[in-house]
Amino acid sequence: MATETEQLESLVNRRYEHGFVTDIATESLPPGLDEDVVRAISARKNEPEWLLEWRLQAYRQWLEMEEPEWAHVHYPKIDYNAISYFAAPKSDEDRPKSLDEVDPKLLETYDKLGIPLHERARLAGVAVDAVFDSVSVATTFKEKLSEAGVIFCSFSEAVVEHPELVKKYLGSVVPRRDNFFAALNSAVFSDGSFVYIPKGVRCPMELSTYFRINAANTGQFERTLVVADEGSYVSYLEGCTAPMRDENQLHAAVVELVAMEDAEIKYSTVQNWYPGDEEGKGGIYNFVTKRGDCRGANSKISWTQVETGSAITWKYPSCLLRGANSVGEFYSVAVTNNLQQADTGTKMIHIGPNTSSTIVSKGISAGRAQQAYRGLVKVMPQAKGARNHTQCDSLLIGKDCGAHTFPYMEIRNPSAKVEHEATTSKISANQLFYCRQRGISEEDAVNMIVNGFCKEVFKELPMEFAVEAQALLNVSLEGAVG
Amino acid sequence: MLDIKDLKARVAGNDILNGLSLSVQAGEVHAIMGPNGSGKSTLAQVVAGHDDYEVTGGSVTFKDKDLLELEPEDRAREGIFLGFQYPVEIPGVNNAYLLKAAMNARREHRGEGEIDSFEFLKLAREKMAALGMDPKFLNRGVNEGFSGGEKKRNEILQMAMLEPELAILDETDSGLDIDALKAVAAGVNALRSPERAIVLVTHYQRLLDYIEPDFVHVLSQGRIVRSGDKTLALELEEKGYDWVREAANA
Amino acid sequence: MSRLSDDKLREIVARFPTTRDEDWKYTDLSQARDIASRWLDEKPATAASALQDDAAAITSTIDAAWLVIADGVLQTTQAPDGVSVDRVDDIPVGDSALAEFNAALVRDGIRIRVSGQVERPIGLLLLDSAEQTSVAQAYVEVEFQNGASGELIEYHVSRGDADQYANTIVTLHVSDAAIASHVRIQDRGRNHLQTSKTRVSLGKDARFSSASFDLGGGMVRNDIDIDIANTGAEVSFDGLYLAGDGQHLDNHTRVDHRVGPATSRQEYRGILNGRCRCVWNGKAIVHEGADGTDADQANHNLLLSEKAEIDAKPELEIYTDDVKCSHGTTVGQLDETALFYLRTRGLDRTAAMQVLTHAFAAGLVSRVPVEAARGAVSALIERRLEELAVTIEEDPS
Repeated sequence: MATETEQLESLVNRRYEHGFVTDIATESLPPGLDEDVVRAISARKNEPEWLLEWRLQAYRQWLEMEEPEWAHVHYPKIDYNAISYFAAPKSDEDRPKSLDEVDPKLLETYDKLGIPLHERARLAGVAVDAVFDSVSVATTFKEKLSEAGVIFCSFSEAVVEHPELVKKYLGSVVPRRDNFFAALNSAVFSDGSFVYIPKGVRCPMELSTYFRINAANTGQFERTLVVADEGSYVSYLEGCTAPMRDENQLHAAVVELVAMEDAEIKYSTVQNWYPGDEEGKGGIYNFVTKRGDCRGANSKISWTQVETGSAITWKYPSCLLRGANSVGEFYSVAVTNNLQQADTGTKMIHIGPNTSSTIVSKGISAGRAQQAYRGLVKVMPQAKGARNHTQCDSLLIGKDCGAHTFPYMEIRNPSAKVEHEATTSKISANQLFYCRQRGISEEDAVNMIVNGFCKEVFKELPMEFAVEAQALLNVSLEGAVG
Repeated sequence: MLDIKDLKARVAGNDILNGLSLSVQAGEVHAIMGPNGSGKSTLAQVVAGHDDYEVTGGSVTFKDKDLLELEPEDRAREGIFLGFQYPVEIPGVNNAYLLKAAMNARREHRGEGEIDSFEFLKLAREKMAALGMDPKFLNRGVNEGFSGGEKKRNEILQMAMLEPELAILDETDSGLDIDALKAVAAGVNALRSPERAIVLVTHYQRLLDYIEPDFVHVLSQGRIVRSGDKTLALELEEKGYDWVREAANA
Repeated sequence: MSRLSDDKLREIVARFPTTRDEDWKYTDLSQARDIASRWLDEKPATAASALQDDAAAITSTIDAAWLVIADGVLQTTQAPDGVSVDRVDDIPVGDSALAEFNAALVRDGIRIRVSGQVERPIGLLLLDSAEQTSVAQAYVEVEFQNGASGELIEYHVSRGDADQYANTIVTLHVSDAAIASHVRIQDRGRNHLQTSKTRVSLGKDARFSSASFDLGGGMVRNDIDIDIANTGAEVSFDGLYLAGDGQHLDNHTRVDHRVGPATSRQEYRGILNGRCRCVWNGKAIVHEGADGTDADQANHNLLLSEKAEIDAKPELEIYTDDVKCSHGTTVGQLDETALFYLRTRGLDRTAAMQVLTHAFAAGLVSRVPVEAARGAVSALIERRLEELAVTIEEDPS
């Protein structure tokens, strides 16, 4: 507790700190999307024929789909032909063989981001895969992981090195035509991370990916696939940042998790894409599909997310609870300030017997931001003994923001026990005065109260991330009270 | 130390303080008594700087500074502590965290370094033991789910840790059983010193059996209508507040 | 008797909501569309049915001044002092296909005005016969004038074996400082369909209390929309739905808080047994500037059989910060510990279940805001729970 306190105290309020642009030669495809672009991406990555075919089918399906409009967000129509679907640092031609060969400018970027890529990584015991624009740049700790039999590499590498695994699991949780953005991703995904934990292995360290969009006018479409085989365990962290640019940039990722019998996956995200400026100019459109499949009995998938960035967030990390006694969890803190919009939540689909799920969602809305929690708890007819508890709290700061909840409960089995609670509150004047009377500034008091509000979720995050998350929250809410 | 001159204040459009004057010197303990609605709590809130209370006249200086110009947190950092009648619950924020943040805010203001975590815990445990508080309280949310007595002890703990120069304790005795009252009184007495002033705001004389005041003031309709030594409190106990009201109106 | 041509009516029927509309996601009106179309094809002559006996039997259960509307025609008017009853000549066209359909076909639309303190409850019996395929419309406006207070009982019943689709529109306006108490009982034939829309608007410092009971009907969809555009309004409404084999009961509630301070609270409870489906969708919208809003929603469901399904959706949309909003929803079964306790006291499982289901419903009965109706409501629930209990024995889950 003491260290947490100290680390917190050392964090002063900052503006969006990750908004620098790295001056580095990039190679990218011209804007626009057609089958040739899909072919070009696939060719660039020396992909096998089956994968190209898979992409092309996804592209054709995408053409027939419509962009969803049901979310509680508003934005001008996206011109999908104005986006470049591939950008890579030039050095990709002769990919670095080790960290020493990585362009020092890139390393510097990660340094600025505070990514423990180098020595710090070793100290922290975190293995990092960093995705810069569309290409995976470096994966640390490869050797140590491979000793344990863990595969942790870029998606492109996995396609070459472990095609049978990729072929088996790709699209098995999020089918190509699952939704508009997933279909787009399936057609043009450029890179991402691949993780395979073999039977009975407890991954010896936290795995981590940092995503960064650097180039202008590009979309980022990464694809992450995590497979935890029987009786294995893995904790996976992802972080994201992007430079400040006046244009909106699209990020449409797909994350698929597969947990076999007795396996557990803990997936944590700190999302800090550029949110746009105070007037809502610029920022990332974060339209992401994340889904975990508890395929085996007694498996567990736990999503923890701290969403502070992005101009618009559209994201519902979900769990398919297929295996008997499988467990799904969703812990979320979402902060929207200024003109940010977020429509986020989860889906818990109870399929197997005695499955249980927990949802804790903490939404904080300030400025003129609009935030919605959208969730589905579905208990299928065969899901005997399903349990769900949902707690959904909103904190409003200021008169011009909005906080909304749209929870769906669809119960098809009478043995289900489902509970949903939601509250809405604001920071009370009495709480603020009490803190100030103890000598704490108004801004610190707000941060303190907000962090207290989010505690249930932060405690689910690994320590380093929890501290980063709290700091981010403070940055995001800067100027929200005054 | 604290100089209040002809203070007038209102809340929600109602005049509550109507020209109150009071002077408190270092080392003194003052008791402010009065019936409900006489303005006791308003006085405490105004000195601490609550926004809801609008000062419409008079002056308040603390250590020769114009207190009314200062934000609540700056008054606290200058050394004013308000023990709340109704301590506020702040869910999720743990007691230790608030306490440490408050101590460091004060230390920084004085140009001192941050308190060492180890030292902080040691100090907190000592003070808690003296107040008969379970050290587990440190890790609970601020006043979250505390009983009335626990909240009041927690206020005294904060005071003991922050070592203010002026402590204003608003109805600190209300809702306490006799053991809690004794513990709270012992905590306050331990803080009595020549450098420190204490103002007790209370409805009943009971607290004064345990904390002996140097001066007793009686408030009625937003003014001090009578001042004296501790015998005034006993007299009040015996004759009731009507006696004062009559005296004030006479 | 239609105000519109058959072609126009068919065109309106074609525009009835479908499950593609988010608000109708869980309720499929194709049966209603089908009945309406068949009725348009056949246009059977409405036989003057013998509903008088039924009316008399029902109205005798609650002491009130009864207005009876049988097959759409206003029969009796015994308005108490302070209450006026008129036929409405100018039915508003309506803002949805269902409302348009209603406006085109309603026979006697009625307007009730309540002024002063009216002690005796006003009963409104809507009784429809279904000897052949039929559609039934009702249109009612009630105005509680400034400072008035009154009680309204709305009782929906249908008789007959043929298909019927009933469509009701009720508008309640509770003016400044008026106090309105409302009870709605729906006990239609188990093979009949109904859609109903209740709109409530509140004046300054107005109070509206309501309780709604859905016991019958094959497929029922109720919408209650409450509009709070004046400060100081206090709204409290409850709903109970008891569903057995073959029933589909859907309750949609919407409260618009446009200004504050004002409070609204609602509690819906459902008991589901047999092959049935219930829907509860509660929506509270706190508009910009509606500071001092206090809105609470609760929905609790008891699922007693293998084939019972529930869809619950408690929604909040909040556009300002000085609010207190909460909702709680639960889906579950009877408490096994309580069941066991009762059995150790000598009750068999079925009896114990009945005691507990009754207790689950009783909480709402005790809050029925029209005292005169409480006994009748309680008896109806008792009867319906007994029917449901039979299914419990047959289908132990």
